[in-house]
Amino acid sequence: MLTKFPLILLLCLSLFYCAACTKTPHDGEKGSDVTIVFTHGKIPGDYEQFKRILRQFERENPGIRVADRTLPSSTDEQHQFYVINLDAGSKDFDVLSMDVIWVPEFAMAGWLRDVSGLLSESELDDIFPGPLEAVTYMGKRYAVPWYIDAGLLYYRKDLLDDIGAKPPKTWDELVRTARLITERSKGIYGFIWQGKQYEGLVCDVLEYLWSHGGNVLENGKVVLHSPENVRALTFMRELIVRDRVSPEIVTTLVEESSRHIFGNGRAVFMRNWPYAWNIFERDGSPVKGKIGVAALPSAAGHPSASTLGGWQIGINRHSKHPDAAERFVRFLTSRESQKTLALTVGYKPTRRSLYSDADLKRQQPFIASLHDILLNARPRPVSPYYMMMTQILQPEFSAAIAGIKKPSDALMSAERQVQHVLGVRP
Amino acid sequence: MKRSEAATWFIAPALLLLAAVTIYPIIHVIYLSLHRKLLIFGISEFVGLQNFLFLLKDGRFWGALGNTAYFTALSVSGELILGLALALLMNKAFSGKGFVRAMVLIPWAIPTVVSAKMWEWMYNGDFGILNYLLGTKVNWLGDPFWALHAAIMMDVWKTTPFVAILLLAGLQLIPPDLYSAARIDGAGPFRLFRHVTLPLIKPMILIVLIFRSLDAFRVFDAVYVLTGGGPANTTETLSVYAYKVLFQTLQIGYGSALAVVVFICVGLIAIGFIGIMGRRVAYR
Amino acid sequence: MRKGLLYISLILVIFYSVGPLLWQLITSLKMDYELTRIPPLLPENPSLVHYIAIFKGRMFLRVIANSAVVASLTTLFALAIGSLCSFGLAKLATRYKALILGFVLSISMFPPIATVSPLYLVIRSIGLRDTWWALIITYTTFSLPLTIWILTSFFRELPDEIYYAARVDGCTPFQSYYRIVLPLSAPGIFATAILVFIFSWNEFLYALTLTSTQASRTIPVAIALFPGIHEIPWGEIAAASVTVTAPLIILVFAFQRRIIEGLTGGAVKG
Repeated sequence: MLTKFPLILLLCLSLFYCAACTKTPHDGEKGSDVTIVFTHGKIPGDYEQFKRILRQFERENPGIRVADRTLPSSTDEQHQFYVINLDAGSKDFDVLSMDVIWVPEFAMAGWLRDVSGLLSESELDDIFPGPLEAVTYMGKRYAVPWYIDAGLLYYRKDLLDDIGAKPPKTWDELVRTARLITERSKGIYGFIWQGKQYEGLVCDVLEYLWSHGGNVLENGKVVLHSPENVRALTFMRELIVRDRVSPEIVTTLVEESSRHIFGNGRAVFMRNWPYAWNIFERDGSPVKGKIGVAALPSAAGHPSASTLGGWQIGINRHSKHPDAAERFVRFLTSRESQKTLALTVGYKPTRRSLYSDADLKRQQPFIASLHDILLNARPRPVSPYYMMMTQILQPEFSAAIAGIKKPSDALMSAERQVQHVLGVRP
Repeated sequence: MKRSEAATWFIAPALLLLAAVTIYPIIHVIYLSLHRKLLIFGISEFVGLQNFLFLLKDGRFWGALGNTAYFTALSVSGELILGLALALLMNKAFSGKGFVRAMVLIPWAIPTVVSAKMWEWMYNGDFGILNYLLGTKVNWLGDPFWALHAAIMMDVWKTTPFVAILLLAGLQLIPPDLYSAARIDGAGPFRLFRHVTLPLIKPMILIVLIFRSLDAFRVFDAVYVLTGGGPANTTETLSVYAYKVLFQTLQIGYGSALAVVVFICVGLIAIGFIGIMGRRVAYR
Repeated sequence: MRKGLLYISLILVIFYSVGPLLWQLITSLKMDYELTRIPPLLPENPSLVHYIAIFKGRMFLRVIANSAVVASLTTLFALAIGSLCSFGLAKLATRYKALILGFVLSISMFPPIATVSPLYLVIRSIGLRDTWWALIITYTTFSLPLTIWILTSFFRELPDEIYYAARVDGCTPFQSYYRIVLPLSAPGIFATAILVFIFSWNEFLYALTLTSTQASRTIPVAIALFPGIHEIPWGEIAAASVTVTAPLIILVFAFQRRIIEGLTGGAVKG
């Protein structure tokens, strides 16, 4: 009897599988149509709206069909997926959406088609400078900016009003305001941000470095160990231990965990990306209508800076249908598509003129209000070696913030290692 | 004789598969470790032992080695103590034995990834249940001291059942007469444990030690999912470091050198244990 | 009194063992807005929204199917190849028996991280990347040491006389393996099957590197990398964790005796 059991189990499982796999749709080609495959991360927001845009492209371009594939993974894993497939010369996908930090690396490796010709001069003037810089490698553009993101300061309007405070312009003001409010109402954190050791930490730290007048690379030279950067990183550590406006748990926070805390009304200030806004304004949200957004503060005498995020569309160099792919990229990044995506899915357009568009201002006033912040968003070091650099920066920044290393030591160590990485340039 | 010829046919498929899927990759990884190979830039050149020389100067490598050793030592001793207690408990007479054993086995059966996600949720410094139940405000996964210990506690939870089951099997092999004889001689419970139980299950403890130490030294998924190596690399183990170098920055040569080092360490641990155990591990 | 103490400790042990899973179950029943609040411990309105959400897209079903197929086929192949080898080692005259067993055991000590990148290169070059076969071949191989080790000891316990009697009756070695030894060792084979199945169901590192889309992605990877650019659906992760753990718990409850036999058989008898 017992011997039969595994067989029965197997049988059941294979039946189960057959049932599951017959349901799986196949993106087969119909007739003589050309099918281009578009790979992207999860679409935040209404997927059906996004599908509708793809169908519109198919209507406008008879003979071309678009199969879109969602990569089921985090940004890091998507990077790994692309690297592995592109390196192997995969033709499985034609058009790919890329995080802002990948383009130079992919371009140097020779995996992307040069798409410099896809944008006219007037369009180039219209697109935000940050993403344009990020898609350019050796004077050529290897992707077209699709949508844009930047770090923002979220604050509790109601709590600030209570003490008659304005949104802070400098870091010191932020500390003062946060302390005033947290002393009055207990059980609320002053300022939360993303302090876990991961890519998000680098985004956060860069904002402090820049807004203190520091930087990572300047004219190809590593300038990590500068007095400005030391001051910036020291300030971040002091937020936790001296000013006590940031709780110790910031060293575990990522976007979502900080969004949850702030969304439950348990923090005065938060650094996060624009995506959180819509969630806060949903019905039933404890902070609905109580939230304001501003540019991140800066050190006195320096301009505010926020880290550029967002996604770009490029074409696989081994694509079998480059012409169809180019048409699709043009369509997806066009003014009209970006407008539709902004109105329906909430993507922040990369074309500046859209921010004065009447429909957008009326229906998505929040997005329209972000123009000035997005204009000043700065890309992380634009270098094909960025992925290696961030592997160095993450633990060193983390060490300074967790108090294991002195900020100056961490920066010195990071500078040496980054120099080493850039030094092995082939 | 004919029989041994037949035996070859029975054994060969398994050995061939093992050679193809384990031995060949090991040789290949050693070969790769002697190269400077950056996948994305199409660089591949022979550099001899340079990767290993660089490794000696790589502070991150030494940190990871230290973390791994600490993780192994602490989690294996924790599992052993807890597992032994659990085994002694389950060796007592009580009703519902099967039920209790099944319950105890559950952590062992849960995928490590799932346990890591579960514990990440419980360790949350803000609304995690652990701080709530303990009435503490510990920053479990964000504090450089606690993070590695949090990973260890999770590993102990996950693998104690395995240890307990093996030790229980060892306990059940002890003839009850031995206990009664010792009791007649006036031995208390502590002395019974010290002079009867412990010596008799010592072989089993050694077996558990070797299995668990080798496993713990190779730890990957628990740490990768729970902390990703942070904060400040204080939880980064050798396998996690090697994985990041291999698959996130795609430095295949240097990553392979790290992998080879893990391989050598595991081999040294195994040889060490086998030395301690004498020939006991050799097949009867 | 002593009995009472015993039962109290047993209850504590059980709570310690299943507590985390129980908490995950409770979490999976909470609505989003309750997830990050404590107290209360229990959800005000227990809801199945997260379970509905994970089964709504076909992705999760597909991932479960992948895991089921990979784990079942691995079990089948590992048992077939492993039992042949064990039979040869246990019942046939073989030179270098101890050497072969030692070799097999030492392979179970290989760190996965050391083999994963070359294996990845090989799998990619033969075009199996992101297919079930990539995982099945890998898992079968890495289950072989355990399988061979347990089964050899089980086969050895069968009296040689049975085997000789079968040979005298004119059975070839393969027939005696297939008709006599296999059926008689059913409990051992079954115990091994469960262990191999659980190993393949739970494996993470190879699955992480050898798969990349839902064509072959297995459960642990899907749970570790739940999709999302910024948003992490904690409730859905909890629901998914509970869902994929359920079959394992059923296995454990139904076959705890066999599992324990397998675990101890692999270690003790070695």
